[in-house]
Formats: sequence, structure tokens, C-alpha cells
Amino acid sequence: MRVPADGLVSQMRRGALEYCVMALVQQTPRYAFEMIEALGQTGMLTTEGTLYPLLSRLRRDGLVKTEWRESTDGPPRRYYELTAEGRRALTAFRVEWVGFRAAVDGILQEARKS
Amino acid sequence: MTAPHADQLIDGYLARLNAAASDLPKAARQELLDDVGAHITEARARESEETDAVILNILDRLGEPATVVADAGERLGVRPPQPYRPGVLEILAVILVPFFWPVGVILLWISPAWHWRDKLIGTLVPPGGYLGVSVLALVAVSGRSGGCITMTNAAGAVIQNTCSHTVPSWLQTLAAVVLTIVVYALPLITAGYLAIRLRWGRQPQAVLA
Repeated sequence: MRVPADGLVSQMRRGALEYCVMALVQQTPRYAFEMIEALGQTGMLTTEGTLYPLLSRLRRDGLVKTEWRESTDGPPRRYYELTAEGRRALTAFRVEWVGFRAAVDGILQEARKS
Repeated sequence: MTAPHADQLIDGYLARLNAAASDLPKAARQELLDDVGAHITEARARESEETDAVILNILDRLGEPATVVADAGERLGVRPPQPYRPGVLEILAVILVPFFWPVGVILLWISPAWHWRDKLIGTLVPPGGYLGVSVLALVAVSGRSGGCITMTNAAGAVIQNTCSHTVPSWLQTLAAVVLTIVVYALPLITAGYLAIRLRWGRQPQAVLA
């Protein structure tokens, strides 16, 4: 059954996905398929094809940079890595997210008690 | 081992993706197709045994081409193409094409509001607008004596003058009148045609916001 929050949740997931992807390449460069495998188990990415426009967007905005690397078992792969600007954006999001999550959690729990 | 219909399934998917992405800017569309192509190669390499079902699952997980493209449009901030709004330039072009041909035609070709086929029709039907029609009419009048053959001898005296009037003269007159009306109405018909074709406009390429 469709609940009214469906649209909101999918929009939130869509927005948060950008930062999840950035977080995935914060420590080590990864190629797209690796990210899909990592995201696949979380339910954050239901339509795998939509990751590619997202990555293009991040690259266009200068939040990630890319580099082609040879692969031992196939054609070269494009690796994505967080830029300094991406790092700043991710840090800002972390702060916002923690505050937002705490506020919503607090209100939802408060409402349940009363 | 390769699935029996792997190439057909994958080519079909990529063709549908390409078609769905026709509104994306060319570079963005090419990048999406390259990325998805690489994804499919990567996914296939991970399967120990490949069947048609395996390929179908890979494509299913990628998502419907229309869904992927709609998401790409939003992510990349692609504005849907705005139809071109005709203005003074187009009005002037429609008026000047029949009455002041060279200028009208230049405006016609400058404006993005017509397809090139319509521009060609506007330019060539009739060539020169009323100016061209007048020249044509003059040529036609001066050529009317062409039906007569005059033979002269060496001294210049007429020895034979035959005019071939196989068609009754009233029919000739009627034909001339009809032809005149058609020829003189033609520039206006063309102008009307251009005015009608204007409404559809030309779809400019989608742009990145």
C-alpha cells in the first residue's frame, strides 16, 4: 500500500544518496560497479542505472575527480575519488544530517510518549 | 560461455536507452551510454555462467531506460526544451517574402522558427516572390509570338507565315487567366503556408541548467 510518506522518503533517499556515494570514495578511490555492490545491500540504490548520472553530476560539480586505471580482468575502469571541495561538502552534510536526524528522532519519540 | 541472445538483449536495451535519452545534451547522453555499457561488461564478467536470464537480470537491475533518463534529467538539471517563440522577425519574414523577396528570404533563413524544408519552400515557391512572378509574366508575354513560324527569303521578304492555333483561343485565354491567378496567388499561398508552419516552431536542443 502506498503511504503519503513514500514520495518524501524516496526524495530523501535520492538526496542522501549523493552524500553516501561521496562517503564511499572518501577513503579509497572506487569504480562505479564497486559502489553499486556496496550500495546494493543497503537498499539505497534500487535502480542501478541512476548511479551514473549522479556520478556525472558530482564530477561536473568538482566534488569528485576521476582517473582511468588498467584492470587485470577486462577493459580499463574509471575510478572516482573525493576532491577537497567534495570533502568539505561531505563534512557539512554530516553535521547537518546528525542535527536533522537527532531533531526528527527527538520529536517522533516525544510524540509517542505523550 | 555466452548467453544465446546476449548481444540482442544488450543492444536492444542500449538502443532503448539511447532513444529515451534523445532530450539530453549530446555529451551527457554519450557519457550515460558509455557508463551503462561498461557496467554491463563489468556485471557479465562477474557471472560464472551466463544465460539469457542472467543478462535479463543485469538489465532489470539497471532499471527501465525511461526511469534512468528521467533521473538523469533531474540530476543533471536539464531543462526540457522550450519551443521557440516566434516574434517580430517571423512576422516581417512572412510579409516580406512575397513583397520584398531578398530581404524576406534573408529573415526567413535567419529565423530558427522554420524547418529548413519550409525555408526552401518559402524561398523557391515562387522564386523571387512578386518580383520573380513579374519577371516570369514579362517573359511569358514576350514569348507569345512563339506559336508563329515566319519564313523569309534571302531578300528579307516574307514567303510564309504560319501560326499554329490547334487550341481554341477561348481555351487559351481561360488557361492564361487561371495561370495568372495561380501565379499571382502563389506568393501569398506560400506566405500563408509559412505562417501556419510557424506555430510548431523548432525544438532547440536541451540545455544544462
